[in-house]
Amino acid sequence: MSKDRHRVFAPVLWTRRGALEAAACGFGSMALSGLAAEPAGAMAHPLEPKRPHHPARAKRVIFLFMQGGVSHVDSFDHKPLLTERDGQMFDFDDARKIANSGKREATSQRVMKPLWKFGRHGQSGRWGSDLFPEMCRHVDEMTFIHSLRTEGIAHGPATLFLHCGATQFIRPSMGSWVTYGLGTENENLPGFVSISPSSGNGGPRNFGNAFLPAIYQGTALGKAGAPAGEAVIRHLSSSGSAAQRRQFELLQALNAEQLKRTPGESELEAVASSYELAWRMQHRAPEVFDLSAESGATRALYGIGDPKTDNFGRQCLLARRLCESGVRYIQVTYGDNSANPAWDQHSNLPKHKDHARAVDKPIAGLLQDLKARGLLEDTIVWWGGEFGRTPYAEKNGTGRDHNAGGFTVWLAGGGLRKGHAHGATDEWGHKAVEDKMHMHDLHATILHLLGLDHEHLTFRYSGRNFRLTDVHGRVVRELLA
Amino acid sequence: MPSPKVRNAKWPQKPIDPFLLAAMERQSTQPAAPADARTIIRRLHFDLTGLAPTPEEVEAFVEGSSPAGNRQSAIAAAVDRLLSSPAYGERWARYWLDLARYVDETASWLEKTTSAHLYRDWVIKAFNDDLPYDQFVMRQIATDQMGLPPQDRHALAFLGLAPTYWKELQLPPDIIKATVADEWEEHVDTLSRTFLGLTLACARCHDHKSDPITAADYYAIAGVFASVRHAEVPTMGDEFWLPVKKARESVAALEKERDELKKKKPAPADLTNQVAAIDQKIAGLKTGTPHFNMAMATAVEDAALFVIPAANNKGTVLDFKPGQARDLELMKRGDPNKTGDIVPRRFLSAFPAKDGQPRRFTTGSGRLELAQAIVQEAAPLTARVMVNRVWRHHFGRGIVDTPSEFGLTGDAPSHPELLDDLTARFIKNGWSIKWLHREILLSAAWQQSSLAPDSEKRDPENKLFARMSRRRLDFEAWRDTTLACAGTLERSMGGVATPLTSDKNLRRTLYGTVNRHELEPMLRIHDFPDPAAHSAARTETATALQMLFSLNSPFLLAQADALVARMEKEAGPMLNARVTRAHAILFQRPPTAKELAMATGFLTGRETDKKAWSQYAQALLASNETQFVD
Repeated sequence: MSKDRHRVFAPVLWTRRGALEAAACGFGSMALSGLAAEPAGAMAHPLEPKRPHHPARAKRVIFLFMQGGVSHVDSFDHKPLLTERDGQMFDFDDARKIANSGKREATSQRVMKPLWKFGRHGQSGRWGSDLFPEMCRHVDEMTFIHSLRTEGIAHGPATLFLHCGATQFIRPSMGSWVTYGLGTENENLPGFVSISPSSGNGGPRNFGNAFLPAIYQGTALGKAGAPAGEAVIRHLSSSGSAAQRRQFELLQALNAEQLKRTPGESELEAVASSYELAWRMQHRAPEVFDLSAESGATRALYGIGDPKTDNFGRQCLLARRLCESGVRYIQVTYGDNSANPAWDQHSNLPKHKDHARAVDKPIAGLLQDLKARGLLEDTIVWWGGEFGRTPYAEKNGTGRDHNAGGFTVWLAGGGLRKGHAHGATDEWGHKAVEDKMHMHDLHATILHLLGLDHEHLTFRYSGRNFRLTDVHGRVVRELLA
Repeated sequence: MPSPKVRNAKWPQKPIDPFLLAAMERQSTQPAAPADARTIIRRLHFDLTGLAPTPEEVEAFVEGSSPAGNRQSAIAAAVDRLLSSPAYGERWARYWLDLARYVDETASWLEKTTSAHLYRDWVIKAFNDDLPYDQFVMRQIATDQMGLPPQDRHALAFLGLAPTYWKELQLPPDIIKATVADEWEEHVDTLSRTFLGLTLACARCHDHKSDPITAADYYAIAGVFASVRHAEVPTMGDEFWLPVKKARESVAALEKERDELKKKKPAPADLTNQVAAIDQKIAGLKTGTPHFNMAMATAVEDAALFVIPAANNKGTVLDFKPGQARDLELMKRGDPNKTGDIVPRRFLSAFPAKDGQPRRFTTGSGRLELAQAIVQEAAPLTARVMVNRVWRHHFGRGIVDTPSEFGLTGDAPSHPELLDDLTARFIKNGWSIKWLHREILLSAAWQQSSLAPDSEKRDPENKLFARMSRRRLDFEAWRDTTLACAGTLERSMGGVATPLTSDKNLRRTLYGTVNRHELEPMLRIHDFPDPAAHSAARTETATALQMLFSLNSPFLLAQADALVARMEKEAGPMLNARVTRAHAILFQRPPTAKELAMATGFLTGRETDKKAWSQYAQALLASNETQFVD
């Protein structure tokens, strides 16, 4: 080996100074290397509100994640043919069957009609079924996307794709990108909050910052399966006693003493000011979390008090309070921690009704409440799962399998066309055929509404610029008001 | 390389100094004054062990380093003492584990990582033994092919702990091929960024835009990883292993027999006797077979992987061919279903061997030849990357400040000749990391004060190294020091990881369980990197959630109580004595009059109130000064 050591002085390319200096793409600091929207002030705190790339139509997002995949053909995608042909055998190119046979040819499947009756609703006349009667009262506020497609046949990859735009690589979640791009409007609260997230199917990665600075990570409040009352910020003391105030003053006095010895040290100041923030959060966050401050009428609107809707109602009400307090990105998960999550009715589709019963009124209440408070004008509400379900029965039973090839989500709020339906699946509701929209496009469009250009919201990592939509995605302007 | 000429000839202490001083003088900048002894000893302890010095160590050092003529020899003695303390390896192993995306646990359905901790312990020992860096690199790639004792196979967990992804074998091969190709990419990415400071993974889809790395280079390396598979391998020779293997198989069969017997309905009349007989047989095998509980290494073994359709075209089979290797076909835009010409396994074309051609990999998977090429053909780069990493940990800033990215997309070196010179001498000195620490720590540059307002103003990023950069402790050093200062730190080394959430876990943080699937929130909020990918450097954030942890976590409350008990024990009942002791323990200095007054103001009238003392101690533990090193 030693005979090779003379090579040390060989002019290897990486150290040729001229070449390195000629390269214009060098960068200094990881944290400043991205092309996030411009900070409003010069040396801004990383969470300070930033100017968007272009005028925003909405300021914040509430994502109501229906984990496991709601059946679109039983809820909002009306396909009369399924009722006509119920029980008959037809050929479908089923994704799993293709996988099992290795052959790209159709297999015979038993068509299953929607289990709930469809009707037209509102002035817009949008279709919706009895599965979600309360939500159907608000279709005039909604923009339906009936032609969404995504990646991943199984929950794990599809859930990661939904949140991070990638099926297995480590990528920041959408809420982290948004917070990175826009900062937060309330420095007393985290900018990105995930209420009752699931630990399954990627777990924390779905609200993780990946390679973005940790300040942009989602703050988990509680976890799936636990009562909504446990959805609080960790280590938030409720005491706020005089003794604690005195201790905090001592701590900041000690920090001030140190700062005096080392004036102008920005990092020391940053830590000291984070303490101030923690202290304010400690005293203001409990107010935000205290649902008892709401009137009885409001609580009833969300179904709080009714055992069936109480839990999700509390989560939705908390989402509104966080939204009102300026939190940028709020996710509410209806799900659990299992590998086959809540809405995953492979064998017993009627069970959809139990879940619908738990979320329908709280979501309708949330929409009504946001509207009444004028918040819906600049908030995007996004309802949907990681994929939809097949129009035929799985294994000739009473459930439906995953369907990533065409399904429905709805959006409501800032900058969106009201009472609009975009795109369509085929006559069975199986594959998106008209105005097809990929999950990347949905991400790009939501970012656009927030004033962010998905192609310019980038972060430099491992030698290249990364973005939420990778090298894909397009803003679907037909959805915009 | 000749040492640059400098005007202030008195300042340099080590060969790195003239390089730095010459650059400063070109910019008409003066180096900062030397730091005082208390600052130096605190800095030294954190740099080498990640723990604060004890008050006794501080006083001994302060005494030994005066008058000024004794300073350099006192520092040299302290460096030697710390480099030979086991805590040194614990501190520096953790830096390495960030690069190696180390984990203790992954999701239950993925490949096993049960012996991960033995790799962590191997890395600790390698640093403590000052294993030459070229050996350190090679063993993590190919120790099983280097004629070394089988106990060394734990080193292979660098490859064995690579993230794996779930492969749904009911799906057709074209889907599974993409998943497998992603796993190969992760291998290539971690290998190239860790050892070579190159981002090779970009070349999976296209020739590198700015560096002379081609897509063919990528597939030439990826072929090595297409020729290995994850495996739990024995750590003793066949003479011990083969009987153990046989005995373990017999035990597994007996256990199965016993479990089936228990499930039998109706239960056999003499069930208890039968079960007892089997249990006795199992016990006999376990005690009668020497080394039955032999540790296994989470490693890899050579086996070529072909992703092929299952029989009857039902899904996919992962066809591993043990002992075989395969060359990969070039994949167009990285798509494994659009393949081109076969690329023979070989090293990067930018690093030809003596015959002008990149080294071909022809033995087995080619791991050993890959390892050799990294420390031979690519030695100048491999060594530079490590020299720069060590430098960065000591100065808070690298000569190249993108430590895993030395290509043109990375940061330009601030002092290229210095990096060349230090690298050349590092190799000449047997790739000794401990030698490198001494070169740096005994330099005048490293011993500068961090208080230099003029330099801070003119050069805020400290590219000239004309002062020491103030550094914030990472979570491990902060938690470990909190435990040490409170007197509760358990110093036992190595072994199975235990959860950090447990209030009984008082060990160093690097022994806390790291779970790739669900990272411990305590780690997550404190900038711990995602263990599913190589982490070149930690991003530092100061967030409210971290501060809430300091203000309210059960961990800090418990340590505050313990610190009070220590103050009481070591300084007696008097307020002044206790406060003075606390400052010595935490800050290596006496309190100022102002600080003493603040403590008195906080505690007067409550001198016997344990709660008040505990709140005081917690404020000290949570204060800025405990978290920063000057």
